Amino acid sequence: MENAKILIVDDDPDFTVMLKTVLEGEGYVVDTAPGRAEGMEKIQADKPDLLLLDVMMVTWSDGFEMARDIRKNPEYKDMPIIMLTGVEQRTGIGFKSSAGDPEWLPVDGFLDKPVEPHVLIAEVKKVMSDKP
Amino acid sequence: MEPVPEDIRLLKGAYWLTRLRWIAIVCIPVGTYVCGNVLGIALREIPLYAVATLLFVYNVAILVMLDRAVKADQHVSPRTVKGIIHLQICADLILLTVLLHFSGGIENPLVFFFIFHMIIAGILLSPRESYLQATFAVLLFGLLVLLEHKQYISHYCLEGFVPHCLQEGMLYILGTFLVFATGLYVAVYMANYIAIRLKHTERAYRQANVMLQEKDRIKDEYVSRVTHDIKGHLATIQGCLAVVVDRMTGKLDAQEADLISRAHARSIKLTNFVRALLRLTQMRLSNKLEKADFSMGEALRSATGAVEAKAGDKSITLNCNIDSSADKVFGNQFSIEEMVTNLLLNAIKYTPANGTIDVSAGSDETSVLVKISDTGIGIPKEEQARVFDEFYRATNARKAERDGTGLGLSIVKYIVERHEGQIQVESEEGCGTTFKLTLPRTA
Repeated sequence: MENAKILIVDDDPDFTVMLKTVLEGEGYVVDTAPGRAEGMEKIQADKPDLLLLDVMMVTWSDGFEMARDIRKNPEYKDMPIIMLTGVEQRTGIGFKSSAGDPEWLPVDGFLDKPVEPHVLIAEVKKVMSDKP
Repeated sequence: MEPVPEDIRLLKGAYWLTRLRWIAIVCIPVGTYVCGNVLGIALREIPLYAVATLLFVYNVAILVMLDRAVKADQHVSPRTVKGIIHLQICADLILLTVLLHFSGGIENPLVFFFIFHMIIAGILLSPRESYLQATFAVLLFGLLVLLEHKQYISHYCLEGFVPHCLQEGMLYILGTFLVFATGLYVAVYMANYIAIRLKHTERAYRQANVMLQEKDRIKDEYVSRVTHDIKGHLATIQGCLAVVVDRMTGKLDAQEADLISRAHARSIKLTNFVRALLRLTQMRLSNKLEKADFSMGEALRSATGAVEAKAGDKSITLNCNIDSSADKVFGNQFSIEEMVTNLLLNAIKYTPANGTIDVSAGSDETSVLVKISDTGIGIPKEEQARVFDEFYRATNARKAERDGTGLGLSIVKYIVERHEGQIQVESEEGCGTTFKLTLPRTA
């Protein structure tokens, strides 16, 4: 899906620029938001095709809670979400070990920070093709 | 070291008393027989044998009482056990007095045996209780001596042992009694003093241990916080460098490209280190691990699948022999897979090209057993015990691979311990290494 809209929600501006550069290089239209509230606003305004969500922003589970909010809303419940996280965050301490458990971690994919460009692109393409 | 709870300490003491009594039960008839028939000392043998029999019956009764108290309640109340200990000491003192009466009273050196009970009381009971037991003993002995001296009861002289009956001499009686009473109280005082000092020392050690654990926790929290911050910055640096490395072809000259590639490679290594350190400290800090039943075979296949490509890069043959019985483990599947992956990556790293790695799994009645063997460089014998230590890398491993965090096997060991399992290493330098893993099976 060329020219698909991707929204990045991450509070690290430098990391956001890096993700944006890689994704724009692949032809995606990328927008960014530095936090949960701004992210929700942009979702409502632009209806992105995919969300890249950092799990740790203001609190350790900000992204996690945002993903749950999105899934609760019937309008966006099918929006693909990739969560950016550290391995240690999903090893059984507060997180289930696998993606796709709708009760626990309602996301479609994981990416470990730091992320290599080819891994990022591959995951985005995979999630996009899984959820047309 | 866990402190011994009071009820267990008393219970052990109560059983200890019964064991000591078996010795007395054997020694009394033997002593009586030897003194009466070999040494020719005038003894009332029948009453002494009767005392030994009584002692036997009452020891069995005490054992039954103790067993009942233990069975009736998992947490035996210290009061009940203390009651049984008091009963034992009182009964012993009475029987010892009766024994003395039939074997010469004050003339019999067995009077020293009262001291044993005072020491036992001093160790097991409170100071007040043990002084009460000492007073009881003094009263019993005093009464015996007085009654025999005043001839209210008969005195059985130890003829053949003493030249004449000693209970008649007032001064001798008074002197012996005074020394006896003082000896008993001093024994109680000393036993109490030592027991209390030991308890204080034990408490101090326990407190020091708790403090050390707390300090260790603070250190882990500190390391976790610092590494987490470092990791955030590092992720961005590595990510940005990766983009440059991806796109630099033709734009930078060879030297610049080389430098950027080096910086990128180092940032990856640093990230791996920080990640391992963070993983270890976070595991140590978290008290619980989410556990569920899962298939060990599946976890092993998933972990082997994840490293297949890496093994292929070095033309290493990866054999998998997983028995269908290696199933049903109760634990955190993600951690177990992570642990097996760590072991496999290590095996790949330290096995020369064209080597072999065998993964096998089976089970016995209680455990699932996993074996990971390689044909790698091995671990020197004298270093095998240390490979699970944090930051430790074997000397030959450091030579073979400059990079390594020294944390991989620490994480492995930690995960195994959190699953109540065991891990062992067998290795011969130059031939290969085998890690043997045992995890409890779900019933």
